[in-house]
Amino acid sequence: MATDEREGGSDRIETVEADDVDAADILGSAIERQEDPSLLTGEAEYTDDIQLPEMTHMAMLRSQYAHARLADIDTSEAEEMEGVVAVFTAEDLDVSGALPVGWDLDSLRNVDNPIMVEDRIRYQGDVLALVVAEERYQAHDALDAVDVEYERLEAVTDPSDALAEDAPVIHEEEGTNEAFDWDIGDADDTEAALEAADNVVELDVTNQLLIPNAIEPRAVVADYDPSDDLLDVQMTTQNPHVHRLLMAGVIDHPEHRMRVRAPDVGGGFGSKIHHYADEALVSWAAKQVERPVKWQATRTESYLTDAQGRGHETHGEIAVDDDGTIRGLYVDTKANLGAYLSTFSPSIPTYLYGTLLSGQYEIDNIYCEVTGAYTNVVPVDAYRGAGRPEASFIIERLVNRAADAVDMDPAEIRKKNFLDPDDFPYETPVAMEYDSGDYHKTLERAMEAVGYDEFRERQEQAREEGRYLGIGFSCYIEACGIAPSELVGELGAGAGLWESGLVRFTPSGTVRAMSGSSGHGQGHDTTFSQILANELGVDYDDIEVVEGDTDAIPQGMGTYGSRSAAVGGSALVESARKVVEKARKIAAHQLEADPEDVEFEAGEFQVAGAPDRSTSIQDVSLEAYLAHDIPDDMEPGLEATTFYDPSNFVFPFGTHVAVVEVDPDTGEVAFEDYVAVDDVGNQINPKIVEGQIHGGIAQGVGQALFEGAEYDDNGQLVTGSMQDYAVPKSFHVPEMETESTVTPSPENPLGVKGVGEAGTIAAPQAIVNAVVDALEPLGVDHIEMPLTNERVWRAAGGGDD
Amino acid sequence: MEFSGTVSIDGTTTEEVWLALSDPVMIKQALPGCQFLVECEDEDPDFDALAASAPEEDPPTLPEASAEDIAERAFEEGGHYAALMEISVGSVSPSFETVVTIEEREFPRMHAAGEGSASSSSFEMSSGMELAESEDGVDVEWWAEADVFGRVAQMGQRVINPVANRVVGRFFDQVEKQLQDVSTDSESSGGLRSRVSSLF
Amino acid sequence: MERTIELTVNGTDHQVTVEPRTLLIHALRDEMGYTGPNVGCESSVCGACTVHVDGEAVKACTELAVRAEGSEVTTIEALGDEDDMHPLQESFQEEHGLQCGYCTPGMVMTAAVFLEEEPDPDRAEIREALEGNLCRCTGYQNIVNAVESAAAEMAGAVEPATDGGTAVEEGGD
Repeated sequence: MATDEREGGSDRIETVEADDVDAADILGSAIERQEDPSLLTGEAEYTDDIQLPEMTHMAMLRSQYAHARLADIDTSEAEEMEGVVAVFTAEDLDVSGALPVGWDLDSLRNVDNPIMVEDRIRYQGDVLALVVAEERYQAHDALDAVDVEYERLEAVTDPSDALAEDAPVIHEEEGTNEAFDWDIGDADDTEAALEAADNVVELDVTNQLLIPNAIEPRAVVADYDPSDDLLDVQMTTQNPHVHRLLMAGVIDHPEHRMRVRAPDVGGGFGSKIHHYADEALVSWAAKQVERPVKWQATRTESYLTDAQGRGHETHGEIAVDDDGTIRGLYVDTKANLGAYLSTFSPSIPTYLYGTLLSGQYEIDNIYCEVTGAYTNVVPVDAYRGAGRPEASFIIERLVNRAADAVDMDPAEIRKKNFLDPDDFPYETPVAMEYDSGDYHKTLERAMEAVGYDEFRERQEQAREEGRYLGIGFSCYIEACGIAPSELVGELGAGAGLWESGLVRFTPSGTVRAMSGSSGHGQGHDTTFSQILANELGVDYDDIEVVEGDTDAIPQGMGTYGSRSAAVGGSALVESARKVVEKARKIAAHQLEADPEDVEFEAGEFQVAGAPDRSTSIQDVSLEAYLAHDIPDDMEPGLEATTFYDPSNFVFPFGTHVAVVEVDPDTGEVAFEDYVAVDDVGNQINPKIVEGQIHGGIAQGVGQALFEGAEYDDNGQLVTGSMQDYAVPKSFHVPEMETESTVTPSPENPLGVKGVGEAGTIAAPQAIVNAVVDALEPLGVDHIEMPLTNERVWRAAGGGDD
Repeated sequence: MEFSGTVSIDGTTTEEVWLALSDPVMIKQALPGCQFLVECEDEDPDFDALAASAPEEDPPTLPEASAEDIAERAFEEGGHYAALMEISVGSVSPSFETVVTIEEREFPRMHAAGEGSASSSSFEMSSGMELAESEDGVDVEWWAEADVFGRVAQMGQRVINPVANRVVGRFFDQVEKQLQDVSTDSESSGGLRSRVSSLF
Repeated sequence: MERTIELTVNGTDHQVTVEPRTLLIHALRDEMGYTGPNVGCESSVCGACTVHVDGEAVKACTELAVRAEGSEVTTIEALGDEDDMHPLQESFQEEHGLQCGYCTPGMVMTAAVFLEEEPDPDRAEIREALEGNLCRCTGYQNIVNAVESAAAEMAGAVEPATDGGTAVEEGGD
């Protein structure tokens, strides 16, 4: 078990081969990933690698304009082109064809979200026509031959512009672009706290729109067998069962005659959660042409359709007394939702944002208002972090500003307001109950690793030499494994957020396990096998984990929100324990003992105090399937299924520190150090944990310094390719020093908290705080992300006359 | 997107430049990638028919053409003109079916607005110019405001700005070259400049 | 317009009929079945499509198939197989230098050519060498570690030469 604290682990974590690890130590070992040999040799099968007999290729015509009326569309020339099998437009659709939204809010103005546009175009990704052709190139060629007549309309891209009186209305039937108006916390108490405090510090920030950028663009292969009405869909998905359920409704196909599979999936970061028009159209088209249909998004198409993240305009006010005590927090956010509601979009800027505004602090009064706005940009939904980075950013920037206001060290003000370890469980004023934490410890460890006191001296010296060094703290909290289902139902979720896990012994004593989680790069096969090897005492190599197939797995909710270990892993633990209990009864029957006297350890059942009276779980498995001699009241077989519904969220936390040098003459930001001390609870595989932290930080670095989806005034995405949208390159990301503390979560049997999003949540404000700290002598108190060289240069006075 | 600039053309007069920039044939020749440029009746011409009827060879321009011929075919305020423009942008070379309306034309100022559309991209633009005498000749002050849509727009300003600069640069280079020819011709014959002047 | 070209892929001679515009990556993947290299950006930025053409790392998403006529092309499939991996493949596994794996074939092929040219690189050089290969999962650190330790392995060293705070030392516990 990984409860031993791997503290001070800033050295590179060395992996071990599973064969070299004792069974008792498998949980918590940094073993190599079993996924990797096939990924490293080109044997892996991604969706676009799939070739089926008679397969056709599909391409979709999207809009030239972000906002327009579709006056006329003529596909006759395209239909005549070589290799074209069929061309379809909205008038050919014989199904309901509206994408559902999976989260409701009291004030939500839900709008129709058609899979193909009949009349009104609301963003560039809207589908106007689709072509099915024999060859990939032919399908794309034919798109150019579709003649479209548009009547262009004025577009709006920023939430505040969209909410203005004279803005063009995107969904005319609603008469407004306001999608919802939501609040949390106590308005009156917070107002009073702000009035009573010694100081109130304000800050306006834009948390820019980001494109998730899984390196594998979305893709679908659909195959329809009319003889038994079976629709087999393989696609880039983070949640095949959810896709099956939603798509069944959209294309009117019976859910039980539909199979959705995730082949190898090349990253997701949220973008492959949502149900898009694309997979519905590919599946529908496969039924029309009665041949397999493949669609592979181009990168530009991905940029025009993959749900984007963030998109907040926020005004924040923090009340702080002269002694550094934080008295209250007020946050007013206008959230960009894009043209339509995406699958979970109403939940992101509300329950996944406002509820995290207490951060790591005891703040008695918090009030948050969020107005959602429809605009002509790509729909906005969950992207790695999803609401929590936005919350963490505004708090951690405001806390820094508060420290400046009362002339206090940024680390000291944090310590002064931290929750203490004995405050847990702690209920915040914004409806969360934190499970456990030791925030002082992660901050202190980070300060030690970065050499804080020594840094301040160096900073002083450097300033005298005309060099600008800065340090930035980010003490973040994250909420993962959103749960329990009953609660999320009350909050508006259209789904339960449990997970299923099936553990099945074969008669020969090996194990196949099915998880409703659906990994796409996280190494689930490895970690889940580690969990089961530990629970069942079976060799790691004798366990096969199956994910991503609705035919094989009972049900599933999928992988997002850093939930797979906490929820999916726990489901497998519970099933393994049920299996062991059944096996214990069989073993007791075989050993002629009372089940209560039979102990289980490392795969062996043994009568207490009688070491010679024992049997292995493998032998028991054979007995369970032979069923020649099992207890009378027992069914044969050895398997168990669990639908695990957690009792609460889990709350990972940590401190990230960035140390930068800024050149005010060029605006260049260079990392001198980056330290991350994270507490994600128990660690199943520390090397995988480290990789998640690294990757998360890189995306946070991207948001802080480079990335942003930019639209012109007409709603045209002008960062439409990887040449224009700056995904961080190898030399953009600093060498990261990662350490961890371990505060197990009491909420689940593994004591895990979740790690997928931590780095992305933590990094941006660490970097922005560091750059602002560096330029403090030049009077800089805020710079909007991304901190491009030009923005930094301007903030530092460049270009001033 | 907004662009503007001033182009200086030496050794010429505002009247000559005005006449040259009033000549659809010369404009067509100066515009890189312009397949044809003809007057049309409304803002929604049939480009296939126009392409079929466009003359194979351009009539002569200055200095060979007479000033009167040019005055005859010169842009007219309120007139619509259709052009087929092939412009390479990055890896694509869309052909834009473009219609321009002359919104104002009064010496020394001209203002035009138009739209162009290709299979996967389109643009809308408004542009103008004003001529002013300079010490050595003529300054052409020009500005353009363009909105770009579709595939070309997605390439961003990284691609579009150089393309716009290339088109504008080549256009004025060509205009300047032709006007130099006019000047040279005027100096040798002594006749054209006075004939041009007489038209104003 | 179509024409038949001959090229060698992973030691096997191929004749393949392509259009003048057919990209090498599509010829490899769709016509010849080498689906190891992937398409990520169609614009030479992400490098997921990187293969070797006559020993050079080439982004097959912007290379025309016809230009590879007569060439020797190597894809990730030929670098090593699951039972006998190339030192780079082994080190990527050891260092967790991959997560989703989509960029990995290109990343490994770029690194392979780089290590031939520079057998003893420092970390900054490795980062520069990989600038044309994007990874969205790993944050690059474990990729740099993998290339560094593969270099050491290929040079026959026991411990990789490292500089400043990144040495492979005993584990944290």
